[in-house]
Amino acid sequence: MISFWDFFTDPVLRAPTWGCILMCFASSLMGVLIFLRKRSLLAETLSHATYPGAVIGVFLFAFLFPAHEEWTFLAVLGGAFISSLLGLKAIEWMEEKGKARSDAALCFVLAVFFGIGIVAASAMQASFPVWQKQVQMLLFGQAATMTDIHILIYGCLAFAAAFFLFLTFRPLQSTLFDRDFALSAGIPVSILDRIVFWLLLISLIVGIRSVGVVLMSGMVIAPAVAARQFSNRLQTIFGLSALFGVLSGFLGNYLSVMGSLALSQSGEKISLSLPTGPMIVLVGTSFAILSLLFAPKRGLAFRIGRILAFRFRCLQENLLKGIWKKGALSFPQIKESYPVFLPVLSWILFRMRQEGWMQKKKGLYELTRDGKQKAASIIRLHRLWELYLTESLGFQVEKVHRTAEEMEHILTPEIEERLTRLLSNPKQDPHQQPIPERYESLLGN
Amino acid sequence: MNFSFEADALNVNYGKIPILWDITFQIPQGQMVGILGPNGAGKSTLLKAALGLVKPLSGNIALLGQAASRARKKIAYVPQRESVDWDFPITALEVVLMGRYGRLGLFGRPRKADKEAAGSALELVGMSAYADRQISQLSGGQQQRLFIARALVQEADLFLLDEPFAGVDLATEKAIIELLRRQKQQGKTVFIIHHDLPTVEEYFDWAVLLNTRLVACGPVKEVFHRDNLMRAFGKGQLLFDEAAALSAKSLSGIL
Amino acid sequence: MNPYWGTEFFGFFSVLFQRICKAIFGGVSSLAADELQIAVLATVAISCGLVGPFLVLKRVAMFANSVSHTILLGISLAYLAAASLWGGGMFDMGTLLLGAFIAAGITAFLTEILMRLFRLQEDASVGLVFNALFALGITVVTLFTRDAHLSVEAVMGNADILQVRDLKLSFFLLSLNLGAIVLFFKQFQLASFDRSLAQTLGISCGAFHFLLLFLAAATCVGAFRVVGVLLVLAFLVGPYLIARFFCCRLPWLIFWSCAIGVLISLFGVALSRHFLSAYGWPLSTGGIVVVLLGLAYAGAALVSRRLAAGQRVSLKTTG
Repeated sequence: MISFWDFFTDPVLRAPTWGCILMCFASSLMGVLIFLRKRSLLAETLSHATYPGAVIGVFLFAFLFPAHEEWTFLAVLGGAFISSLLGLKAIEWMEEKGKARSDAALCFVLAVFFGIGIVAASAMQASFPVWQKQVQMLLFGQAATMTDIHILIYGCLAFAAAFFLFLTFRPLQSTLFDRDFALSAGIPVSILDRIVFWLLLISLIVGIRSVGVVLMSGMVIAPAVAARQFSNRLQTIFGLSALFGVLSGFLGNYLSVMGSLALSQSGEKISLSLPTGPMIVLVGTSFAILSLLFAPKRGLAFRIGRILAFRFRCLQENLLKGIWKKGALSFPQIKESYPVFLPVLSWILFRMRQEGWMQKKKGLYELTRDGKQKAASIIRLHRLWELYLTESLGFQVEKVHRTAEEMEHILTPEIEERLTRLLSNPKQDPHQQPIPERYESLLGN
Repeated sequence: MNFSFEADALNVNYGKIPILWDITFQIPQGQMVGILGPNGAGKSTLLKAALGLVKPLSGNIALLGQAASRARKKIAYVPQRESVDWDFPITALEVVLMGRYGRLGLFGRPRKADKEAAGSALELVGMSAYADRQISQLSGGQQQRLFIARALVQEADLFLLDEPFAGVDLATEKAIIELLRRQKQQGKTVFIIHHDLPTVEEYFDWAVLLNTRLVACGPVKEVFHRDNLMRAFGKGQLLFDEAAALSAKSLSGIL
Repeated sequence: MNPYWGTEFFGFFSVLFQRICKAIFGGVSSLAADELQIAVLATVAISCGLVGPFLVLKRVAMFANSVSHTILLGISLAYLAAASLWGGGMFDMGTLLLGAFIAAGITAFLTEILMRLFRLQEDASVGLVFNALFALGITVVTLFTRDAHLSVEAVMGNADILQVRDLKLSFFLLSLNLGAIVLFFKQFQLASFDRSLAQTLGISCGAFHFLLLFLAAATCVGAFRVVGVLLVLAFLVGPYLIARFFCCRLPWLIFWSCAIGVLISLFGVALSRHFLSAYGWPLSTGGIVVVLLGLAYAGAALVSRRLAAGQRVSLKTTG
């Protein structure tokens, strides 16, 4: 049985584990930059553009150094870098000189470069059939056969990329936020752009072995998406993205190993390995989806929660107003005036009694002193707003009641302050009704 | 007799921000109507809501007494020039011909009569020489005339134009106003989102002053005066905008 | 015996020409493997040439890339459904079309949800969706078919094992695309050019947009056995971009996109045979075709810039 720690220490398992972790670390950092620039699909094209270089790299290596198969990955790295750089140039040319639309350029470069790779791969199949597997694992990754040497090289590249990022953090931040300003302030924007793209390419080539060419862009995008949901500070986003990336890398590899183990133990004669690439991407995307749902503040679940809480509050305040106007109400009367789902209504009434706004006397609901104050302050907001609309903005008197019904729940004390000053501490609303004082009940009314 | 344009308690949001707030008005037919207001006041949104391109949060809006989906054949819409891809591989004549597509149904093809109408419309706007020209080669004024020709070909009762004179030379502007006046004389109604205040009294019979909410709506002589202009273009409603933005945030759970 | 065996580039064309003449006078019994390749590639090229221009004009080419990735999942699901519901096979017409429909549907739906409900930016939504669905597709395929090669083939295609059945499929898809474009040309044209006018004229932009995506997905499905999903992209986008250098009327652009695609397919197969005969290299035909497209683009770009520069020079000398 494989234990958790074996993944980090066992000589066979540790290289793939660390390889995936390092790769996702690098790509997640670069992914933040690409995400904030809204060019996520560039990563897709560039990762596919690494394919021909990688294949030709293997080809040349097989031709020149057939005896040193373990070092092939260096040729892969070099070739991948060169061809993706060419791909980048091709995209730029097509967009600027060829007047092609950006997405068409991305698609075309993606397909053509990949096509070149496929032709090269088919040539490999014929000339150096033994090396075929080196080429095949480029597509979907095969972390399982990585060795410690891989980790050393990938580690160096990944940390070099992170280090460069750290060095250029401040100017990068300015260019991301306001490019024109950065240009005018003398920041070398174009050099920074070059650096960012080169770092992206490095992170892509590091990832070829673990995730494969086809799915690389998934690991560039997903961690950044997840991280963005939690913070607005660039440093935090980078940190969280790296965290999510590393976790995805580890878990993806873990699942792939355990899954392959489970499959081979289920009696299949063919030794089937679940490729790591898809697993890592699936884990990474799950993190992204969970973040989109449950991140505090931006997460969908919390947004829905806040909307419900707001509606609750509105209902509470409307109830307060209603009872304030009528003095006291019985439950059937409340039920009639506020046609809300019955359990919800009962629960709100219960809460309001608990919180001290209401009390129940002789079967009727009436307000406490505090409740009356609260109701008065809401009415005050309502009538102030009505006056503002009619006096300052020229709304018609008949129309203002409805919008004031909405706005009374939203106006903050600060806005109330400004309204009071603007309207010179008014006493009457447009319907000739009195506007309650600010702290009425405490002042003894 | 139907109103040409009618709104009742119309509220339109764009994502988090309210663009149109409680708009109510009625405008009779056969008028040249100017829709005025500062940037971001919701003028384009008003037209789009009327055409059914934007869904209102609440309230009603109708053109010629009907919802846009029923009145389609009688309405011609001239959008802002930026909304169109001017690099599209298409000639001026073909663009004008598109005005007829609404009548051809699902499988119909443009007929000879349609093509002749397109040619005549081009002549009316003074663009016959450019019939086979690629639209990317046209100037701003020429592009606008093309749009007008397309609207004419639709044989509509109602014209809705969104900032037709932005970036257009004076000669083209005068020519277009003249063409639209002739439409009005035949009983059609023309709505123009306009940004040039000095020409309002010359061009329009009715005015709609808009700044998220309706400031005024009525004959130009009655409503186009200083007080209303101050209300529409002035700063008195900063508090309103703030409160509106707060409201939108609460309703969508951001706050 | 394959009549093209051992022919080099120009010899290929002479054999082809002879066989066409023979075919006209009824002397040919069946298609040679190379001819089958040309036929299938050409029909795929025409299908792509019909639909591709609209994808580019609507700026949804990357979306087509997205759909081409989700095809794998779509087909796996369609196969599961078909096998259990009506005993359909993996490559039946019905199964494949269902797969295309599912792929286009899921992709569009999930991307829209990410953009509208979760308020995620468009490029990240598209990227997240297709990578996740592709990863899911690969996992599903690997688990169910116990064959890691299928995914590789889905990506790369294998033009060298084509059968007549594939030609029938491609032809069906071609007629589907042709029918849709001919019937609804004006709707597609208008929706690509001026969305607001289209909507005010009562044309349902959403429906036609989905139809376009479905056709793109169907084309991918038809082509993935031949050239693999990624290379369909080259056919969808490349010929249009090349034609755009020289032509500017939409109907002609569509025609030339198809024509360029067919020509390149022809040369691609000939070249592939040439490399096999002359040097003994069995190169991937699909890959060669795409590389030719790239070269054709580069050539067209060069020529068009020379022409433009030449025009500028002649204007200067005469003016």
